[in-house]
Amino acid sequence: MSALDDRRRRFTQYKEDVKKRGKPFYPYAMFHDTVMSLVVVCVIFLLAVVWRYGWFGDALGPLNGPKADPGTTSFVPRPDWYFYFLFYLLRIFKWPESVILATVGIPTILLIILLALPFVDLRTERRLGRRPVAVVAAVLVVISMGVLTYKGATAKEAIAAEVKAAVPSWAKKEGFAGNKEALAGANLFAVSACTNCHTYLGTGSSNLGAPDLSAEGAKGKGIQFQISHLKCPSCVNSGSPMPAFADLGQDNLKKLATFLEASKGGK
Amino acid sequence: MARKKSDRRRQLERAAMYPLDWLEERSGLVGGVRYFLFRKVPGDTNWFHTLGSATLTAFLVQLVTGVILAMYYKPDPKSAHASIDHITHEVTLGWLVRGMHKWGASVFIILMFMHMGRVFLFGAYKYPRELNWIIGVLLLATGLFEGLTGYLLPFDQTAYWATVVAININGTAPFVGPFLASLLRGGAEIGPDTLARFYSLHMLLIPGALLGLITLHLYLVIRLGVTSPPWSSEAAGSGRPPEPPPAQAGLVRPRPRAAVKGRPTE
Ligand code: HEC
Ligand code: HEM
Repeated sequence: MSALDDRRRRFTQYKEDVKKRGKPFYPYAMFHDTVMSLVVVCVIFLLAVVWRYGWFGDALGPLNGPKADPGTTSFVPRPDWYFYFLFYLLRIFKWPESVILATVGIPTILLIILLALPFVDLRTERRLGRRPVAVVAAVLVVISMGVLTYKGATAKEAIAAEVKAAVPSWAKKEGFAGNKEALAGANLFAVSACTNCHTYLGTGSSNLGAPDLSAEGAKGKGIQFQISHLKCPSCVNSGSPMPAFADLGQDNLKKLATFLEASKGGK
Repeated sequence: MARKKSDRRRQLERAAMYPLDWLEERSGLVGGVRYFLFRKVPGDTNWFHTLGSATLTAFLVQLVTGVILAMYYKPDPKSAHASIDHITHEVTLGWLVRGMHKWGASVFIILMFMHMGRVFLFGAYKYPRELNWIIGVLLLATGLFEGLTGYLLPFDQTAYWATVVAININGTAPFVGPFLASLLRGGAEIGPDTLARFYSLHMLLIPGALLGLITLHLYLVIRLGVTSPPWSSEAAGSGRPPEPPPAQAGLVRPRPRAAVKGRPTE
């Protein structure tokens, strides 16, 4: 008997068993479904109430954040919680070699695995004790998604005030303390959320695989390049996920570029 | 039904049934609903099987609260944030509707994952339910995308910048990336068009797709039936007959299934 015949026979058997020994959907299964649905609605209602009144020390966050401002100087690019696992992957991979793996590769691979599952696992066996691979895979997926979500939720964000406090020490180490334009750029850099993605002499948190910028000036790219990159990163470095900072204005961009070019790696 | 009915009662019954008969004769819908309600499901169906309809309930909560939110929300960058404030603080029970929509989204996603987990553990993706598993995976991806587009709508700092990065991430995809990114943005830069686009996707296109997929999904669930728990001693399809109910001494809690079996089905 071919494998497909076996599966067909089992399904015919299933239909027969259900006909003979099954019970009607209403009221038995429907009762369970109704109770569960009521629980779901109550949970959603309670979450809304906890959020509204800020119970448990504002556990569910503020009612409304500050208004979006494209010309902002400080932001935390944080997605909704169910993307945290991807968000955290972005901190692990480095631009440009492997970041595409995190952004596009891993989601695509996960999707393909899920879609292919019923065509790969062709056995009729459904008992868990006889499906060790499936069970181990499920446990591993749950654990790794859990850990990545937790890491993403607790990932440290660079706080503008702290970064700013580090500027004088940067100036000393990088030797641009005398360059007023670069100093102004460093201060802008500290408060413009650059350090949410870039590290600079150990300050800031790495994200999206963005490079460390302590030695950006040593690459010899020039102020003009830096300005056009800041204005539209993906126009210069194709596929760059870095946001455009054109809204900062030509003057500020010039200061930032001077600072970047003055950063030769320090001592 | 040995009791004799009075003429009057029979007349009343006929009058009450008339609209149903009318509908049935013209649409067959009554028969459809009757089939849906009284179709047999495996006798060992249990609480795990409620996760699918729980997901459906969460989705319906999103539909209802979403429609109400759309009556007050203004999808343009200048007033979006203020309209959200207005809903939260001024509209009667606006906070409740918005809160239920905001947190219902998370509950919906969690339930989708839990339902998928149950289907996986039960081996319910196997023949002949492969297609329904695929529809489920599409539902999961579409559901996540619905969350992504909704996240921008309050138009606060976190939402805005997370979306900037999310769109840019789309842009890194090979070949289609840049095209996708500019499609989402509605131009080379994030601007007024972006919000309108996300809004339209979030309240028309994606919910429509979800509704269509859910309809297909439920059609297949009804057509193919649901899978018995794999550990069940009388799983439908295993060919094993049910165990005879154990002799019950008065002290043992009666097994609910045995009790159910004993009751006559009307
Ligand atoms: C959301 C994350 C993110 C933020 C915020 C960000 N960047 Fe970047 N940046 C990146 C990524 C990713 C790259 C690598 C791709 C590229 O070169 O564009 C990068 C690259 C760079 C480079 C190297 C370009 C080159 O080719 O040498 C510089 C310089 C730079 N960023 C400066 C800045 C400055 C200044 C800011 C703040 C105004 C900033 N970045 C904010 C993600 C970010
Ligand atoms: C909008 C989201 C979804 C809704 C409303 C939904 C609804 C349902 C319902 C009501 C059932 C009946 C049995 C049960 O409740 O468990 C069901 C079964 C099923 N679902 Fe879903 N579902 C959704 C998402 C998914 C996902 C993400 C998957 C998997 C990737 C999936 C795969 C399946 C399969 C294979 C069955 C058949 C189970 C069996 O035969 O036992 N569904 N779904």
